[in-house]
Amino acid sequence: MNKLLLVVLALLTCMQGYSQEKFTISGTVRVQRTGETIIGASIKAGDAGTFSNDYGFYSISVPAGKYTFQVSAVGMLIHTQSIELGKDITLNIALEEEPKMLDNITITATSKNRSLSSPQMGIERLTTKEIRNIPVLFGERDVLKTVQLLPGIKAAGEGNSGFFVRGGAADQNLILLDEATVYNASHLLGFFSTFNSDAIKDVTVYKGGMPAQYGGRLSSVLDIKMNDGNNQDYNVSGGIGLISAKLNVEGPIQKDKSSFLITGRRTYADMFLKLSNDSSLRNNTLYFYDLNAKLNYNIGDKDRLYLSGYFGKDVLAAGQTFGLDWGNATGTLRWNHIFSSKLFSNTSFIFSNYNYNISIRSGANEFDIFSQIRDLNLKQEFQWYINSKNNIRFGFNSVHHTIRPGEVRPSSSGSSINLSLLQKRYSWENALYFTNTWKATDKINLTYGLRLTSFSILGEGDFYTIDKEGSVTDTLSYAKGVFIKTYINPEPRVAASYQLNETSAVKASYVRNVQNLHLISNSTTSSPTDKWVASTNIIKPEVSDLFAVGYYKNLVDNNYELTLETYYKTMQNRIDYRDGANVFINSDAIETQLLFGKGRAYGIELQFKRKAGKLTGWLSYTLSKTEKRINGINNNKWYNARQDRTHDVALVVSYQLSKKWTVSANWIYYTGNAVTFPAGKYHVNDQTYFYYTNRNGYRMPSYHRLDLGATWILKQRKRFSSELSFSLYNAYGRENAYTISFRESEDNPGKTEAVQLALFKYMPSVSYNFKF
Amino acid sequence: MRLIILFSLIISLSLSSCEKVIDVSLKDSEKQYVIEGVVTDIEGGCVVRLSRTKNFDENNIFEGIGNAVVSVTDDAGNTTVLPETTTGVYRSETLTATTGKKYTLQVSINGQTFSASSAMPVKVEMDSLYVKEESFFGETVKLANVQYNDPAGKGNSYRFIQYVNGIKEKSIFIRDDDYSDGNISTITLFTAPDEDEDEIKSGDRVTVDMQCITPAVFKYWFSLDQGASGDNNSASPANPVTNIEGGALGYFSVHTVESKTVVVP
Repeated sequence: MNKLLLVVLALLTCMQGYSQEKFTISGTVRVQRTGETIIGASIKAGDAGTFSNDYGFYSISVPAGKYTFQVSAVGMLIHTQSIELGKDITLNIALEEEPKMLDNITITATSKNRSLSSPQMGIERLTTKEIRNIPVLFGERDVLKTVQLLPGIKAAGEGNSGFFVRGGAADQNLILLDEATVYNASHLLGFFSTFNSDAIKDVTVYKGGMPAQYGGRLSSVLDIKMNDGNNQDYNVSGGIGLISAKLNVEGPIQKDKSSFLITGRRTYADMFLKLSNDSSLRNNTLYFYDLNAKLNYNIGDKDRLYLSGYFGKDVLAAGQTFGLDWGNATGTLRWNHIFSSKLFSNTSFIFSNYNYNISIRSGANEFDIFSQIRDLNLKQEFQWYINSKNNIRFGFNSVHHTIRPGEVRPSSSGSSINLSLLQKRYSWENALYFTNTWKATDKINLTYGLRLTSFSILGEGDFYTIDKEGSVTDTLSYAKGVFIKTYINPEPRVAASYQLNETSAVKASYVRNVQNLHLISNSTTSSPTDKWVASTNIIKPEVSDLFAVGYYKNLVDNNYELTLETYYKTMQNRIDYRDGANVFINSDAIETQLLFGKGRAYGIELQFKRKAGKLTGWLSYTLSKTEKRINGINNNKWYNARQDRTHDVALVVSYQLSKKWTVSANWIYYTGNAVTFPAGKYHVNDQTYFYYTNRNGYRMPSYHRLDLGATWILKQRKRFSSELSFSLYNAYGRENAYTISFRESEDNPGKTEAVQLALFKYMPSVSYNFKF
Repeated sequence: MRLIILFSLIISLSLSSCEKVIDVSLKDSEKQYVIEGVVTDIEGGCVVRLSRTKNFDENNIFEGIGNAVVSVTDDAGNTTVLPETTTGVYRSETLTATTGKKYTLQVSINGQTFSASSAMPVKVEMDSLYVKEESFFGETVKLANVQYNDPAGKGNSYRFIQYVNGIKEKSIFIRDDDYSDGNISTITLFTAPDEDEDEIKSGDRVTVDMQCITPAVFKYWFSLDQGASGDNNSASPANPVTNIEGGALGYFSVHTVESKTVVVP
């Protein structure tokens, strides 16, 4: 069966005539000290080049002959050897880390060269090394907040880990942790992300040109890979900050063969609340914790097994009265198999769960509200390094979703609340994909592929017909296991690059993405209780088409990099709440609360990056526009989406002062969000209320902020190292508007006034990190 | 959901935050008529108030609109014309509504006409009113509770108005039976804990009016509270969902009224 598939795929691929016999060099790239595999290491044999994949595997085919074989990666010494190739060979490479105790400060690149030849565009890659010096809120290093400093990616709000990519909403980002979908990537109502940077190896963001192996969200993919665990030696590292502490333990189970990693983190901000004199704060609970764990095992040279898991939970409680807890749990079991020097396979079984529980113990009404989304997922992928010109990826993905939209349970016998369980919603999402990267000429590279997705709504359940006003006119009940409706969508993915010269290239791409799980949110900040709903007979799959072109230039021996990308995106079947919608409606027909429409976004993104030297960092600028048109909102006319910000600037700088000290700074500026302000006021119920005309017709004031940071290395020995990190968030104390509300003036009750609320004016923090 | 928002605000505030009055330049808009129409089951309860929107920077004195023709017609075709008693206030001292009957409000102002219909809901009696101490965000506060027996069958909606020593509480208290159909129900009238002057103290006279309202009017109060209060916690402020046709703001509510008073022990 597999052979047949390969033949079909081979026919689909642009095969090259062989004028000369070619041989393959393949293997895995690792870090020598830890045995961690390296993602995206550059491998060169003469003029031919490739990159290691997500599991460190590479394969490169070249004609017989003598070559200088070179492997390089960020923060690693370059490995060079001469080889004489007369047959297929396996070369497993272990790279040495750059020594840290150099008398002269290192000046090699801190980040990878953007590949000029690869057609992949709209991609940003970060390693934990790169984010370590960036100053952050509460001193908590956070990949999601670093990602927000990149062009085209915007923070969802002050200190918020939610983000918007190229005009997309926060739910249009596919967030993967070791391939498992993370449905809510924020802790503490958004101030922290669920990703503990100590456990993370690599972060890749696709804001466009998503490869065909990814799908399911309209705007971006954030692919986060956890560390595998040191298979050479035991390691303990940790940190203590103002509001959280963390610990990471890793080591070999069997040297060279297997390893484990466990990372935990817990905040203790609630302990400070207990010290407060204010009883309304003191009696509250507020914390989160998370745990990452991973095991991996090499079975011979050809097979490797990984088991990784994440578990996180947030707990909020107001005395005994009100409680809210929520959390994600994910688990991934993966099997890598090397069929041949040219064929790499990965099989993954993935589990993902998100749920929240609200408990009300107040007055005469004591009850709990529970909601959950749970996935079971099987992925199979093959990477076939077919020849020196073609590199194929193909596979399938099958996910079963179970959504429990809402369950209300009385928690005492005297409660006046009835037991009410909304119907569970079942769906089955399948994708079949194929993509080929074809080196057409020395200068032209093409990636073309197709992702064919199907989304089946499964019984049992009731489905509805709804009129224009949002009332149910008809109900159809389906039995268990029945296929109620299947949406099939082909998603073409095309990209091309043309290398202008040694240091510059132009690229263009087109992708279509389809989204069948929709997050319906009605609040300004991301709320853990926002609702995930699957497509139904009425809620159609959301579809986006993204066109992008870009120009890329490396300057001064690759020490500087200039990137310019421009895009145009259309989105269909966008969802919004009706005016006056009840988010907590006790009905299976959520559609009665919804309206549908479309969106468009376009913009230019510019990034100038210095990658080597004492001073590194980047300047990014985005000019963009994002609009929506929803039938039933704003008189059916186009309006600015909330995330529409015209200008967005980020300057990120880090300077190595001495062997012991590194200082850093960020400066951020953006146009305020589009917002709805009153057009007038009136009197009802003996009170003043506000009258609105245009949706999002106003803007919040411009936002800007400077953050400062410093890292002081206290000790750096082979067996023990430690450092102190200082940061000052909002260093010049700008009062940036978090919300603007309107109310009767306190001083002059005859007048109405606008009141701005600002958060975080000067937030200093310090944290201590160690490793032994 | 208010609780979550309130909670996140408390967290935010505790983290250091500052509030200040700012200048926002808001564009003027075309004036809209505002109609507040009420018919109840007691005599003297039929009142229709007419006013208009004002620009944001104008004062908060909302003058009534006089010289309008206002009438209420029941489903038997009996029309009551409401005379203007003071500027912008139109009353009938005698018109009362009967459960099950439908009433239609007609308003014409300067050639523009507006109408709304509403049926009188079933009366559900207030069983008791009492004030009880509750732990609310860690503080012990005295709160009013109303108990009533919700009849079986969804669609019953209620509104409560609280007065402490004769001063009306600003919060909108509404409840439907979506989650508590057919049960002996108690609503606790929560008020924001930071407003000290609103706190109920021993010796206070607490009066609560209970209205049985229609689902459409419930939706009006719900959406008014969510979208039009000027709070920017809702992502999309919007005009409330009205049952008035013709393009006016406001509502037409036909409801029952019952009132109880207790002295806080």
